Amino acid sequence: MGTTVVHIVGYILIVSAIVFGALGAILALLHDPHKPKKSAKGSAKAAAESQAESSQAYSEVAEKDVEHIFNNEFREELRNRGRLHFEKIIGENAMFLQQDLRLTTSQLNDYMKQEITRTLKDEFGKYEESIMDAKQLAIDSISKTQQAIEEQREILGKQLKDQVASEKLRLITHFEQNMAEIINHYVLAAIGDQIDLSDQLEYILNDLETNKKAILEDIQNGA
Amino acid sequence: MAHDTKAEFQLPLSLVTIVDLSRTRRELAAVDEFMLQASVRKTGARAQLPKTSHALEEMVRANGYNLLEANDRTHLIEILTQLQKKAPTIHMSFAVDPPAAALNRLITWLRQEIHPQLLLQVGLQPSIAAGCIVRTGSKYFDFSLRKHFETNEKLLLTKLHEGVV
Repeated sequence: MGTTVVHIVGYILIVSAIVFGALGAILALLHDPHKPKKSAKGSAKAAAESQAESSQAYSEVAEKDVEHIFNNEFREELRNRGRLHFEKIIGENAMFLQQDLRLTTSQLNDYMKQEITRTLKDEFGKYEESIMDAKQLAIDSISKTQQAIEEQREILGKQLKDQVASEKLRLITHFEQNMAEIINHYVLAAIGDQIDLSDQLEYILNDLETNKKAILEDIQNGA
Repeated sequence: MAHDTKAEFQLPLSLVTIVDLSRTRRELAAVDEFMLQASVRKTGARAQLPKTSHALEEMVRANGYNLLEANDRTHLIEILTQLQKKAPTIHMSFAVDPPAAALNRLITWLRQEIHPQLLLQVGLQPSIAAGCIVRTGSKYFDFSLRKHFETNEKLLLTKLHEGVV
């Protein structure tokens, strides 16, 4: 990522240097045609002055010629040429810049894809690991709960079995202890209204006969 | 005029309970009162003799009394009063109200076998289902079906276990 950004900045600097270089050259051509040349310092000042005078004369002549050569049409022509050249350079560099940008964008996309994929993979890995841990925890918890439930079920089953046995025994004991009363109650409820005293007289008289002596003694003692 | 002693006095079979005895004595007292009033009433005055029960008539007939005789009535009232106080009484409880025929048979047996002037007190105890419970002065005899079941509880248990097994 950092390398790609450095490349992009480098390209931008190179293109800028080229553009500004070209501009400088054009401006030099356009704005400084009569810049005086530095004359060499001679030993003889007079000669130099004469030469300067002659040079000045030549310069004036040259200026006239230059103005004659570099007239306004020629300058306009140079400007046009410079403009075209500048546009050409700009277009070429823009194309290079576009290609580089495309390449950079593609590389950036690949890089981003890789980075995102790697990051997602890492995150998914961590997420999966977390899920696995949670799953293991849940399994352990469920296992412990199942074990506890099983133990509780066994305890409850045993208690229930004991209680059922105890209750059964209690009911049987109660039934056996009160069986006569229960059967009597059943007989009374079932056929109580159908029992005729006349049918029982023989049994009652038999019982009285059996206990006649005791009754007689009690009556005589009472009397 | 046959004057039975108290010991030979015969109670009719229709006079079973001590309530019957009390009612009969009241009837006899009413007759005696009527006779007394009739003796002081003017001759020819119309009077209505009190109605007497079958038990009173049977008792008078069985013991040879004449209710027109004041002495007989007095003697009879005295005997009944004594019996009301001192006649031997047995309390019998039944599951249902006993019919008159059954009571007659019971009182016949009791007066033949136990005491000729014995009276009954009849009670109801529906829980005994069948049979009866007899109480004398100081004893208690349970002839009920419930008691029979209790007596034969082991037999019932044995049969029940055999049936279960």
